[in-house]
Amino acid sequence: MTGGARKGLTGYTFVLPWLCGLTFFIAYPFLAAGWFSFCDFPPLKGPMFIGGANYSELLTDKVFLRCMGVTTMFAAVAIPIGVVLALSLALFLNARIRGQAIYRVVFYLPHLVPTVVVAILWLWIFNPEAGLLNLVLGYVFRAVDGWTGLFFDIEALQAGGAGLRPMALLLLAAPAQALLGWGPVARRSYGPESRLRPVMSAVAGVAVFLAAAAVISALLYRFAPGDMRKLHAPGWLTDGDPFPAVLPFAPSWALWGIIVMSFWGVGQMAVIYLAKLQDVPVELYEAAEIDGAGWWRKTVSVTIPLISPVILFNVVMSIIGAFQVFAAPYIMTQGGPEDKTRFVAMFVYDQAFQYHRLGYASAVAAALFLVIVVLTLLAFRISRSYVHYEGR
Amino acid sequence: MRPVHFILAAVILTVVAVAWFEPRPNIADYDPAKHARFKDTWDQRVHITYWEKWGSFEAEACEKMVDAFNEAQEEIFVHYVRTSQVDRKAMLSIVGQAPPEVVGLWSGNVLPFAEADALIPLDEWMARDGLTDDHYIRNYLEMCRDQAGRTVCLPTTPATIALFYNKDHYRQKADRLRAAGLDPTRPPTSLAELDRYADALSEFNADGTPKVMGFVPTEPGWFHESWPYYFGGSLWDPNTGSLTPDRPENVRAFEWIKSYANRYGRQNLTRFQQGFGNYDSPQNAFIDGKVSMVLQGVYFPAFIDRHRPHLKYGVVPFPCAEGVPGPRSLMNEDVVGIPRGCKHPEAAWKFVRWVQTDGLPIICRLQGKHLPIRLSPEAEKAFRQAHPNRFLDVFDMLARQPHSFILPQTPVWREYRDDYRRAFDHIWHWPIPEGPLAGLDGQQRADKIRQLCRAEIVKTLSEMRLDLEKARAQKAERLRMRRKEARP
Repeated sequence: MTGGARKGLTGYTFVLPWLCGLTFFIAYPFLAAGWFSFCDFPPLKGPMFIGGANYSELLTDKVFLRCMGVTTMFAAVAIPIGVVLALSLALFLNARIRGQAIYRVVFYLPHLVPTVVVAILWLWIFNPEAGLLNLVLGYVFRAVDGWTGLFFDIEALQAGGAGLRPMALLLLAAPAQALLGWGPVARRSYGPESRLRPVMSAVAGVAVFLAAAAVISALLYRFAPGDMRKLHAPGWLTDGDPFPAVLPFAPSWALWGIIVMSFWGVGQMAVIYLAKLQDVPVELYEAAEIDGAGWWRKTVSVTIPLISPVILFNVVMSIIGAFQVFAAPYIMTQGGPEDKTRFVAMFVYDQAFQYHRLGYASAVAAALFLVIVVLTLLAFRISRSYVHYEGR
Repeated sequence: MRPVHFILAAVILTVVAVAWFEPRPNIADYDPAKHARFKDTWDQRVHITYWEKWGSFEAEACEKMVDAFNEAQEEIFVHYVRTSQVDRKAMLSIVGQAPPEVVGLWSGNVLPFAEADALIPLDEWMARDGLTDDHYIRNYLEMCRDQAGRTVCLPTTPATIALFYNKDHYRQKADRLRAAGLDPTRPPTSLAELDRYADALSEFNADGTPKVMGFVPTEPGWFHESWPYYFGGSLWDPNTGSLTPDRPENVRAFEWIKSYANRYGRQNLTRFQQGFGNYDSPQNAFIDGKVSMVLQGVYFPAFIDRHRPHLKYGVVPFPCAEGVPGPRSLMNEDVVGIPRGCKHPEAAWKFVRWVQTDGLPIICRLQGKHLPIRLSPEAEKAFRQAHPNRFLDVFDMLARQPHSFILPQTPVWREYRDDYRRAFDHIWHWPIPEGPLAGLDGQQRADKIRQLCRAEIVKTLSEMRLDLEKARAQKAERLRMRRKEARP
């Protein structure tokens, strides 16, 4: 055997386990599932070719279409919010603050907890009667009610009236305070170096926040009384009604539960952002500062363009992940109520292992694969205009 | 060849060899103390595996039955394995050609497993060993047969269901019951009376949310498919095999169910139920006193005894709607089968055969259940003596009633059950639109609500029937194609 052949043999021997794994556990199942999707295939009976019957059945299968709707809705809501949350978290973790390393560990830790444990934990958190989340929401909304009740008659609002109390006039103090704290009055009365400026600014902030809370709460009581009542103690995983109720296609409360829970693992995405954030050249920030850019301008014009390849990566991974969600809803809701949390992956599992329809399950899996491919390609296509690669 | 190639080749060969040659069970690998008494006969026995679904004390009862078999003879040793999701794992193991010798399933698994040809028919063995239909109580053997009439499983433990009522609640709220014209010393005897008892026994918090409920049709939520039968309905026609989810009696049953959601608030009740603990815990809704009456099975007294032995309660047949003959109950059971492709089918049959005569009295007594088989009067007397379930007579009587029923024996039962539960969920959660009720009050409003609900129920159930008929036709067509393809 020549030296080259021997080297080749040694190399192939070392990669052989990986090649076997790829062939037997990925390539073969992938190709076989493609073939089975054109077959009727009950276990023990073997596949029987039936052409595109499984695919035509898919198009009229109400349960599948519902599952697809739920999965798409989850992806449409959870991915953008998750990306923004992770990015915000990464920006926070990138700031030069005391205990930065501890924060980084703390936010990454949840990602290490197994999905089943997380699902059981959140089952308790979402319990409408004894759950932690409803306990906190109860306190918050009772406080909001108390505050709103000073200026508005909540019962009258719910009945469709104006519900104004005389005290509501006091809410006008907020815009006045805003003018004093931030507006032209402030600029004329005290200069940028004045000690009064931060005090007035803070007072304006508090006043505007409190007034806005009362007004928003009143508006919600007036135009979405049902949602507002439910926000005090939602039924979460047991409630199939849409939220907000005015949009019949909006995610159900149960799906919101799954969406909220999906942010539990956002720390992992944040760590990827963080790695890229630390790669952003400091000179660019310095140049922006010389040009008079503030924090927001630097974030929008420097940070985000430079980390955009990582944002794209996270979006693509989130799309793939969103269309494969299985364990959490399977444990927490089993698809209920009324299939409002039945994801496509659960449908595939049921078809294969509950109804023993391996051919149909393969067709659904193939359709799911196509959807993921199309969405990923779309993400790449759209990204051409927005993603900035430093090396190009 | 370099030494590294020899090492790699040796590793691969060892892995293949270990995977290929399964070693014989070694007593040292099992619980030595427990199996010490089998040491002498260990090597001469045929070792078989029995997968069963139960956990907790029910698993212990089954293990005791298996121990009794292992002690009763020296030819076979049964290894009992507690297996969650046993039906799915069993099917996978059968497809993978590595099944256990005996598998414990639910009666609902019989037809799908038979249809997949996953279980060995037992008729020849039964005929050889003299196990006949007469040995079984009506219906319990029926549930073990496939569409072609072949027996593919045999019963283990049976179940019937009845109304459990909390006697303490009846006593504490005696005045309220009397004020409602009801007798606090006895349970309801009709469905209309059950509703009135439920109303009188319910308590509410200041905000209108339930504190204690007299009765809720969704608790424990296991018997949704039974409700139509208490109204004289049925989910199928056993004579023609046609599926009948939208029969008028079934619609009536759903109207009754929805009346609870309307009366107490669907979301109030759903939230209330979220506060209940696990079934097998002191926080079980009935055991904890959160509901005064519940539809439960023959196994339930054993759970009550475990968690609150001093609870004062009674058990009676669940009342039927007016004009519907009773008493009646859902008849259900756990079954055992012998998977196709197992290594020792003959030994498996010997175990299953023993279970059918000697094993069932052991496990049924230890699990607090009645028997699916007929015993001689002496054996029956011995079985009943010191039986832990003091309401055994009620459940046994229900199992022998001509009006007691079994769930549809159809190949699309799983699809049917899932569709039915979806429909149930939909009807229970369906919000009554406010528009058509505008300006109505009192009786007019109540009538309109009833009318709207009825229309939604009829629509939902009819759609379900159409979907199921489609699924059945498609299944039949695929079967026809398969047969055609199989012809030479």
